Amino acid sequence: MATYIINLAILIGINAILAVTLNFILGYAGIFSLAHAIFFGIGAYTAAVAAMKFGADFAAATAAGMLVSGVISLALALPALRVRGEYFVAASLGLQMLALTVFSEWKSVTGGIGGLIGIPPPRLFGFDVSDPVLFLALTLACLGVILIAIRALVRSSFGRSLKAIRDDETAASALGKNVALLKTLAVMVSSSFAAVAGSLFAFFLSFINVESFVLEVSVQVIAMVIIGGTGTLLGPVIGAAIVLLLPALLTYLPYLPPTEIGSIQQMIYGLAMVLLMIFRPSGLWGYGSSQDRKRAAP
Amino acid sequence: MTGEILFQADNISKTFGGLKAVDNVSFALRAGIITALVGPNGAGKTTLFNAMTGHLVPDRGAVTFLGESILGLPHWKVARLGIGRTFQDLKLFSHMTVLENVTTATESGSWLWQTGGRAAQVERSARIERALDATQLQRRRDTRAVDLSYAERKFLSIARIMASGARLWLLDEPASGLDRSSYDRFLTVLRNEVRAGVTICIIEHNLDIVQSISDRIAFLDQGRLLAEGEPKTILSDPALAAIYFGERAP
Repeated sequence: MATYIINLAILIGINAILAVTLNFILGYAGIFSLAHAIFFGIGAYTAAVAAMKFGADFAAATAAGMLVSGVISLALALPALRVRGEYFVAASLGLQMLALTVFSEWKSVTGGIGGLIGIPPPRLFGFDVSDPVLFLALTLACLGVILIAIRALVRSSFGRSLKAIRDDETAASALGKNVALLKTLAVMVSSSFAAVAGSLFAFFLSFINVESFVLEVSVQVIAMVIIGGTGTLLGPVIGAAIVLLLPALLTYLPYLPPTEIGSIQQMIYGLAMVLLMIFRPSGLWGYGSSQDRKRAAP
Repeated sequence: MTGEILFQADNISKTFGGLKAVDNVSFALRAGIITALVGPNGAGKTTLFNAMTGHLVPDRGAVTFLGESILGLPHWKVARLGIGRTFQDLKLFSHMTVLENVTTATESGSWLWQTGGRAAQVERSARIERALDATQLQRRRDTRAVDLSYAERKFLSIARIMASGARLWLLDEPASGLDRSSYDRFLTVLRNEVRAGVTICIIEHNLDIVQSISDRIAFLDQGRLLAEGEPKTILSDPALAAIYFGERAP
């Protein structure tokens, strides 16, 4: 039971990193991406390949994943962010489909549909951190560092510029802000940090395949951000916990046939999203009362 | 220096489909004065503003600022040269506080940090405080723009352009909807800024405001510049008055 809870906590931590990094562009810059699972995947595959073929430890493998993910994000952002938001949504959907095909077809690197098996246990600065408790500590440390980094970025001139773009792109550029460049940088930062989640995921499972990076995962991360609260620091963490705990809790409900849990879960997600949009459109941790506003301030 | 030509438009035209929104307009903005662009609805005033700030590229003509061509520059580059503007619908950063709105106006750098070090930061802070003081928004500095009154929002749009350090301000109907006391305060702010060296070009429908604040008037109708001169000359011209109040140009 303890191992199950620790493993669940690790998965929540990994998904929280994904949600927090997506929120950086969605909540603070108003950039709606449907390709976040791809940068998660790029981080996972790069870290796995670095560990399997080059013997990289967790830090080196993660750094490699961040670099590759950041560079590939530029390929998406540079052309797509010169236009208004809806085009980026379409472009990100295109990248999601394209990259998924690459993941499943580039067999020599990704292992194809079968994926990569036998990713070595994670080591950090010479120490084995494969023990679940240690790995949970590593996951939480990564989440903490990313939260601190994003908090600092949001409070900086860069963060203010992103929020200005989110609120009114025309006014932001009329104040001298290079909107395309700022958005490109934001996507690069977000994608690089998302790769950290990918690296943790690859080392945690010792196995990855294309199933973990499909469009449904991107949509699920968006749901985490919206449920928790866009444009808030901790909202996406709460959203990730709720979305991952829900199926776990449903398994304890009596009289629910195990074969129907998936459908019931989908119905509850849908209902929760509809109710949230009606009664609390800023999410559970988002703006509501003045007290909430103080809490939501990054 | 007062009197020097800060901005010059030469024979600029802009057509949308079959509509000539701006038709061969030439005019200059001289430093240290307030020039009003007046004319009936659809005269091309806002289109001219957009062409002046790079939000629209004229089909033909030349646009210079401080003697350098700014034609074809993206609007963020035009802004960095020192041309700031406000919008009819204000376009505030609604979910940011007053302080954040004004602070971000001082930060045009696009990287993760602003260049210039400590000295530049001190100078930016001084501009922020001066803008908040001049517009009496100090006590509202931590309030989100969306929670401000209408008059406060108008003043925030001015505080933002003030903090940006722009040398030429293009204000699109900045006083519309203000009550009398806010309006008087507003004019005082603009006059003080002009005395401090700012040049202002203002689009305004209220001729009382135009008469009380402007040093020169440019009269537009159907995309053409019909007249330019001192307020008393332009506003006392019966032909222009007839056009302004609904009759067509001769």
